[in-house]
Amino acid sequence: MKSRKLSFIIAMMLGINLLSACGSGQEAPRGDGRQQEEQGTELSGGGAGDSVIVAMGPNSEPEAGFDPAYGWGAGEHVHEPLIQSTLTVTNPDLSIEYDLATDMQVSEDGMIWTVTIRDDVKFTDGEALTASDVAFTYNTVKETSSVNDFTMLAEAVAVDDTTVEFHMAQAYSIWPYTMAIVGIVPEHAYGSDYGEHPIGSGRYLMKQWDKGQQIIFEANPDYYGEEIKMKQVTIVFMEEDAAFAAAMAGQVDLAYTAAAYSDQTIDGYELLAFETVDNRGFNLPAVPAGTDEGGNAVGNDFTADSQVRRAINIGLDRQEMLENVVNGYGTPAYSVCDKMPWYNSAAEVEYNPEEAKTILENAGWTPGADGIREKNGIRAAFNLLYPASDSLRQALAADTQNQLKELGIEVTIEGVGWDTAYDRAQAEPLMWGWGAHSPMELYNIYHTLENGLAGFSPYSNETVDRYMDEALAAGDLDTSYELWQKAQWDGTTGITQEGDIPWIWLVNIDHLYWSRENLKVAEQKLHPHGHGWSIVNNVDQWIWQ
Amino acid sequence: MRSMNGRQKTVLLFGMAVLFLALITAAGQVFAKEAMATDFTRKNLAPCGEYVFGTDWMGRDMFVRTLTGLSMSIRIGLLAAGVSALLALVLGIVSATMGRAVDSAVTWVIDLVMGIPHILLLILISYACGKGFRGVAIGVSLTHWTSLARLIRGEVLQLKEAPYIKVAKKLGLSSWQIAWKHMVPHLFPQFLVGLILLFPHAILHEASITFLGFGLSPEQPAIGVILSESMRYLAMGKWWLALFPGLLLVLTVMLFDVAGESLRKLLDPGSAHV
Repeated sequence: MKSRKLSFIIAMMLGINLLSACGSGQEAPRGDGRQQEEQGTELSGGGAGDSVIVAMGPNSEPEAGFDPAYGWGAGEHVHEPLIQSTLTVTNPDLSIEYDLATDMQVSEDGMIWTVTIRDDVKFTDGEALTASDVAFTYNTVKETSSVNDFTMLAEAVAVDDTTVEFHMAQAYSIWPYTMAIVGIVPEHAYGSDYGEHPIGSGRYLMKQWDKGQQIIFEANPDYYGEEIKMKQVTIVFMEEDAAFAAAMAGQVDLAYTAAAYSDQTIDGYELLAFETVDNRGFNLPAVPAGTDEGGNAVGNDFTADSQVRRAINIGLDRQEMLENVVNGYGTPAYSVCDKMPWYNSAAEVEYNPEEAKTILENAGWTPGADGIREKNGIRAAFNLLYPASDSLRQALAADTQNQLKELGIEVTIEGVGWDTAYDRAQAEPLMWGWGAHSPMELYNIYHTLENGLAGFSPYSNETVDRYMDEALAAGDLDTSYELWQKAQWDGTTGITQEGDIPWIWLVNIDHLYWSRENLKVAEQKLHPHGHGWSIVNNVDQWIWQ
Repeated sequence: MRSMNGRQKTVLLFGMAVLFLALITAAGQVFAKEAMATDFTRKNLAPCGEYVFGTDWMGRDMFVRTLTGLSMSIRIGLLAAGVSALLALVLGIVSATMGRAVDSAVTWVIDLVMGIPHILLLILISYACGKGFRGVAIGVSLTHWTSLARLIRGEVLQLKEAPYIKVAKKLGLSSWQIAWKHMVPHLFPQFLVGLILLFPHAILHEASITFLGFGLSPEQPAIGVILSESMRYLAMGKWWLALFPGLLLVLTVMLFDVAGESLRKLLDPGSAHV
């Protein structure tokens, strides 16, 4: 009787472990024999030749395949599409250069973009790439893209074989940034299974895709651009701990990792840290508490006070946060677009807790009996949400909680799922992650929608709106950069410390990788949000030393 | 010690188990606030004099966190086992006394609930109830009553044939009166033992569902949260995050088992010799 009970208990404990094994990912790559062999040769050569194995997180595997209409390249986390070519590309400093395009012109009113393209480019099936393929691609993504917004485009028209015209629905000066992420697909070979059998004109061919495990790319022998140095690229998908174990076992050449692992060492590997605009920060609802038509809570009485938001912004020690949360692998963030050409450095602030306290005192927020400030019966308190699955954001939230307590602000933290997070962020601050290679993110975060409030967190400022509208309508990129900067701070109003400060930006987190010591990873642009495909943007130029 | 007989030893064992569990529960309540506190100046410390269970990546004291987690587990277990046992008692009696149709309906429900894997049903109910403490408590309560209900039903069926029940019927008592006055007192020992033996189930299921991410929110000090977080750090050699909380969970579950078994021996001495 007794032993039966005991065995039941032990069985239950085992059950937990088993379940966890299914829940939290697989062990090392379960490659077929051939892959093992390849890895074997890789190992014996100490990482050499012209092939490389890269480990990414399981979320990076493109569920819908390699179709730009379903988020490949032009998705939530933008990157270069590798298999397809794009009209333009972004340089390491985020300025625009040409890929397929040879020239681009925009009409005076910004409503027509005329792009001429190279005439010597072939798809990997031998057919020539013409302007009609470009037009087809853009019209297709406009129709079907569920991930990215293409509503600014009315129609793409092929004028002749090498000229395409984009007729815009609204002026959109940053169109070249969109052109840098949309891979051109062949009109003659595009269908519902394109995602699984992609044909493009880019640097690589997709040779093999074992879903849930790995993707193998091979260099395109007819590629029109610079010589491809890395002939074969294998991407394997695994959880953080499995990627770490795979690097320890020498099964991968480059493995993504998190700051939590940064105090470890692996023989033969070095830790690479790349700067990013992958920022973390939280929103502060800038209107008093109320409800929308749907009955959802919108606004927050405490954070609606702009003095409160200013005090929080300078009352947080970002440097300490970096040390605490990511072992120093990151940079302080002051905006959603730090270091981008459209960034206004007026956003930068000094950590000054005394000044923060003075601001709160002057605004009438005085400490109550328990040290937490109050004003007119409102407690200086809020609930800070974070995505439950993200331990980094949880730590940031916890650190924010500790630091704001020093100012007399009470913060409680709560992990939530994304199913409810967006709605709840309308009334409660949420720990977000942003950062893209396009100023459109400023627009999405700060520009008002039809209901008169910005979409992700209630806020509105007519001047900020106007600058951004003007920026989109501007004739050239340089003018638009200036206007984007003015939208952030024009000397009298904006979204920075002296302005409305409706979002608090905390840190840009470095993207970390274990890399074999003799692998030379080419220079990286500032990575955008999403610790995934950005690293292989220029994998063709990586070399073994 | 030598002068103690078997029964006294059992009483002592029961008393100690209950005392220990009560202590854990109370300690969890006392430390509730501390268990949530983060302090980045003391993160990732291995077990030492000041932090006997070490600290985690946000500098939380794992000792108070584990105690509070177990205390929360015990409270959820108490609630769930209580509701489950009550449900089982009512349904078991109803099933056995209210006639054929009711009996087959209740038996059908029991089979239905038993037919679905526990953990699946639990996830489903917890998710539908919005996860968190409420979701887990409702989920665990609604899935653990079946075997006890079946046991009580069988016991009642047997009792119905007992002479004193038949006499009571002849005397004109209604079936409710018989159930309440004559059956429940007789069933009480089985009920109590069943209730305590539900605890290990309830606690382990609470831990597993939270471990899988369908239960309590990750900042909460729950044993499932602690164990699932520790998984990520095992590869980095932070063994203390999983070892001590895991051991204490096993200890708690076993203590409940010991308490249940000794109580059964005390209430039903005959079974001690089986």
